Order: sequence, then C-alpha cells, then structure tokens
Amino acid sequence: MTELEHSLAALQVGWPPTPDVASKLELDPRHARNRPLLVLCAATAVAIVAAFAVPDSRSAILRFFHLRGVTVELVQTLPSAQERPLSTGLGNPVDDRDATTLLGASFVPAHHGPLYASEGAVSTLLAVPQPALLTEFGNAFMLKKLANGAPVSVEVVPGSPGLWIVGQHVVVFPGASPRLAGNVLLWTRGNVTFRLEARGLDETSALELAREIMGTDSG
Amino acid sequence: MNQQIAFRVAYLIAGDEAEDAVQDAAVKAWRALPRFRPGAAFRPWFLRIVANEARNRRRASGRRTALELRAAREEVSGGAAPSPEAAVVGAEEHARLLAALESLPEDARLALACRYLLELSETETAAALGVRPGTVKSRVSRALERLRESYD
Repeated sequence: MTELEHSLAALQVGWPPTPDVASKLELDPRHARNRPLLVLCAATAVAIVAAFAVPDSRSAILRFFHLRGVTVELVQTLPSAQERPLSTGLGNPVDDRDATTLLGASFVPAHHGPLYASEGAVSTLLAVPQPALLTEFGNAFMLKKLANGAPVSVEVVPGSPGLWIVGQHVVVFPGASPRLAGNVLLWTRGNVTFRLEARGLDETSALELAREIMGTDSG
Repeated sequence: MNQQIAFRVAYLIAGDEAEDAVQDAAVKAWRALPRFRPGAAFRPWFLRIVANEARNRRRASGRRTALELRAAREEVSGGAAPSPEAAVVGAEEHARLLAALESLPEDARLALACRYLLELSETETAAALGVRPGTVKSRVSRALERLRESYD
C-alpha cells in the first residue's frame, strides 16, 4: 500500500447511523400502503437483509419461503406421499357460521358449495374450469415441500403477498398424512391465508380465478 | 455489520435515499432468488442489487451527498494521544484528502470509497460499481492517480 492508500484507509468518515432496515420492512405500514412491492413476502425479504450478516445462512434463506401460515421448503427429493383426489380428507361439514368462527372472517366467495373443516382450515371444491380445491385458514399452519423450482411471488390482492407454485410438491398438514399436490396459488387477505389447488391450472387462469373469488377481478 | 456495508454502499451512491434503496433491494433480491446461482457468493450478489437500486434512485433525484469526516474522531491507535498541534494538522490533512476524494468523478470516487473506506474486496467492489472484477484494479489505479494529482 502506498502512503496515499494508507491515508485513505485511515479516513474516519462520519457515516450516518445504519437504520434497522429489516424491522422497517416488516413493520412500517406507510411503506405497505405506498409501495405494495415492499409487502410482497416481506418476511423473506427481511430474512435476506438480516441474514446478510451471516453468509453461511444464505442456503437457509434459499430453502424457505414463508407466507403467513404456509412455509414452503425447497428440498432435494420429495418425501414419500400419497396422491389422493382433491375431495378426500377435507374434514367435517360446517356451515357458514362455523367457518367464520374458525377463520375469524367470512369464507369467500359468499356463494359457495359445501364447506368442510379440518384442523382450523375450511375448504370447498370448485368446478371451474376443472376441479379445484379452495382452502382458507386463519391460525392453521401448513408445510409444503418442493423439489423442483421455487415459488414465484405474485399479487392477487393489491398490497398482499402471494406465491405461485408450479409442479408436484408434498403438502404436510397437521392431522393428515402427507399428500402429493399439483399447481397451487397461495395468497393472503388480512389474517386469512388462501390456497387454490388444481392440476393443470396455469398461473394466468389461477390468478383470474383467485381474483374472481376475492371479488377483485376487473372483468 | 454486513447490513451496514449494504447501507453504506447505497449511501455512497444515493445519499439520503440509501435506506429506501436497501429496502427495495431486499425485496428485489427475494424476487431474484430463483436466479441466484447455487454456490455463488451471496454478498457481491446482494451488493450488486443494492448498488443498482441506489443508482436508479440517484438518477431520479440527481443528488449526491457529500461525505463528511467524523466530528469527534476516536483515537484508534491505542497509543499515546497526539499533541494538539499534531491533531490539528492530522484533521486538516484528512479534511483535505476527503475534499479531494469528493472532487473526483463519480466512478473514481466510488471505486476508492469501496476499496479503502468500506474495505470491500475486488469482487464486491466490482458488484457495487457494476463492472467486471477485472476492471476494478485498473479503475482504482486510475482513480488513485487522479486523487494524487488533486491532493498534492
């Protein structure tokens, strides 16, 4: 090092204090309103900033995606699981009032087929355009194991995070044996997490259907 | 510590908008994670996103924030405190050097700040500058020459 380089390295610059970017990403509601991008899976973005301090943890970040009650784990190989029809293991029939109690909010769409409840999740089968399973849950938790690819962030409800998962993955839900699932769209509104599953459903159709369910479609 | 590096890189480029730049960079990094090459170094990858975001904000605002010397410099040598005269001379020299650094064109200033003020590696500096690692050495060398001319 030359003398000039030493002098440069010795400069005591008055940097402004480093803000706690991670917590602001999570907590600042102004950002949520003005810049919807920021709330897009903020939890994982927070993890990126926070784990920046620990380079070895990057593999952990790359393995997990969180969306309120759902955690998606990227794995090398899928665990063994059964492939079952969408209509199996949905739980016990419930009415709208029970569903509202379980979810802390009304089940949407308002007009729907029979509802079933299991472990805090409420489900119904849809028939548009092919059989699809819509599940809503408030405080329940679900783990998804995905071996190929990674979830893609999407926005179904403006300002709320969503994930689009393509391909076979294993769903682990409390009280049920693991099962193979197809393409899935996950999104949230308020404290409720929504899950729409149908084999062969593409992202565009899934988003259209989800927006129709939420009553936010433009068409 | 590394969150601090990300913020300071953004501050060098975007000044007061550094915090927003790092926030947006974190979200963009998340969206880009599927394209992150397994086995690649995470820090340069994230710094590149931070620097790009900061540059976008800088272009929009057109402003650059000047660096300042720390007001109350701590004595880090661990040795005896310098005499008052030596301290004044040292402070003046540092102020003159910082002013010379600030007078450099943006690319040169950023290259030297990354390498010597933030002590980034060549790979990390390349990410922050948005150039290939091989370009950093020559850019730093030219920047040092310009600084020497300006400082002497």
